[in-house]
Amino acid sequence: MKNLKIENLTVKAGEKTILKNFTLEIKAGEIHAIMGPNGTGKSTLTKVIMGDTNYEVTSGKIIYDGKNIIKMPVNERAKMGIFLGMQMPLEIEGVSNADFLRSALRAKEGDNFKLLPFIREVESYTEKLHMNKEMIHRGVNAGFSGGERKKNEILQMNVLKPDVVLLDEIDSGLDVDSLKLVGEAVMDYYNERKPAILLVTHYQRLLDYIKPDYIHIMKDGHIACSGDKSLALKIEQEGYDKVGNDDE
Amino acid sequence: MNKITIYGEDIKIESNDSVEVSIGEASKFLNVQSVKIKVLKDTDIIIDEGEISIKLDFYINVLKGVKVNIYEYKHDGEYKCQYKYYLEQKAYLNIEKVHDGKQVTEMNLINLNGEYAKANFNLKTISKDIEKYNFLVYHNANNTVSHIVNNGVNILDGTLEFNVSGFVPKGNTGCDVSQSGRIINMTENLCVIKPNLFIDEEDVVASHSALIGTFSADEIFYLMSRGIAQTDAQKLLTKGFLLNGISYYKDTLESIIDKYWR
Repeated sequence: MKNLKIENLTVKAGEKTILKNFTLEIKAGEIHAIMGPNGTGKSTLTKVIMGDTNYEVTSGKIIYDGKNIIKMPVNERAKMGIFLGMQMPLEIEGVSNADFLRSALRAKEGDNFKLLPFIREVESYTEKLHMNKEMIHRGVNAGFSGGERKKNEILQMNVLKPDVVLLDEIDSGLDVDSLKLVGEAVMDYYNERKPAILLVTHYQRLLDYIKPDYIHIMKDGHIACSGDKSLALKIEQEGYDKVGNDDE
Repeated sequence: MNKITIYGEDIKIESNDSVEVSIGEASKFLNVQSVKIKVLKDTDIIIDEGEISIKLDFYINVLKGVKVNIYEYKHDGEYKCQYKYYLEQKAYLNIEKVHDGKQVTEMNLINLNGEYAKANFNLKTISKDIEKYNFLVYHNANNTVSHIVNNGVNILDGTLEFNVSGFVPKGNTGCDVSQSGRIINMTENLCVIKPNLFIDEEDVVASHSALIGTFSADEIFYLMSRGIAQTDAQKLLTKGFLLNGISYYKDTLESIIDKYWR
């Protein structure tokens, strides 16, 4: 089983320390949700796990499948099975979704890559996610709405089949119908493959569809408190000021 | 379809009745060869140049109401070329150029002489040595349109320069002048874009943009986060950047990119 373990991780961006001795273990088959006020390091955490070199890891470990991956390049982490669904997926002019996905899958599968199953799989997921079939031939996220971009991230997740799924505010920009669709697609993937999932969200509503085993409140670069889904409901009612202080 | 093939000093012409092509007397002293093309009817012209050992002067005249697509491919040579385009009323000139030469120096003079004449120019180059492109675009009549797009990727020992100047004199109303230049510089060498607009008329739509830089770190991160190696990510982005807007020589350009980003 491929587990993700983060031990005493301290991370800086420039002179500012963003994550402070952050520790968390996510086992295969577990869903963890991280909530917290803006600017507490939630998105940074997901990017650092993925290997974003804009951040400097000053101490700590990220252990995946028994290996410390701190010095591993981004693409190698992805090939090992880590996936980051981004908060604001980029538009990449001129690079078609098909070329992008094909290159990604070819990088992962090497000589085992087969074009026809790839095409069929993409068609099946675009239909499931209610995406325009033509989008696969358009530039990556080119002219996509916020919701379409998030669906495209979920499409990529389904095609690449990661063992660790990091979803950074996958609910932002989604209308209620799309939120349900995306939430159900994530749960379908979870039920099929039992990955370790780390969700970053501001809102309890996403958790109506994706059912976390644990909820963590992050403040000032570390986990201030943890609990079950009731914690999210409490935050919805009382706000972060009253919930998730270190002494709770 | 018409085709002009130029290899070394040899010029081969395959043309139909839509164009008149004449080859001038080569100047031995200046080592210049002139090629005159008069476009009489709507048509396409392919120009394939390889390992040129002479300077080339092109004179291209597009007659009234005629539409012409010119697809040009330069490879393997050291090029010094001058192009003079003359567009009559409602003439439409669409140019796609793909360059993989050793060195290239070009001067392009585009004369929009008739009302509603329109020129679209799309250059894609991979510069590995010295490349310099100059454009002078003259809007000599009302309601004329020019869209000049120059995209280049600078690699190895390359230096790349785009100088584009658009002119609209007073009284020539309703003109549309746009210039867009972008260079992806993968070296420490100097690259230059000079987008100039010389406009002496108020009733004009004009825009220019110039961007020199590398691919964005965020784009590279996004592609790598899906398992794509950094060099492959750069290759994908290069293809996206250069293939856009190219039709006839698209496969050729893709092969050129594959050659340099193995």
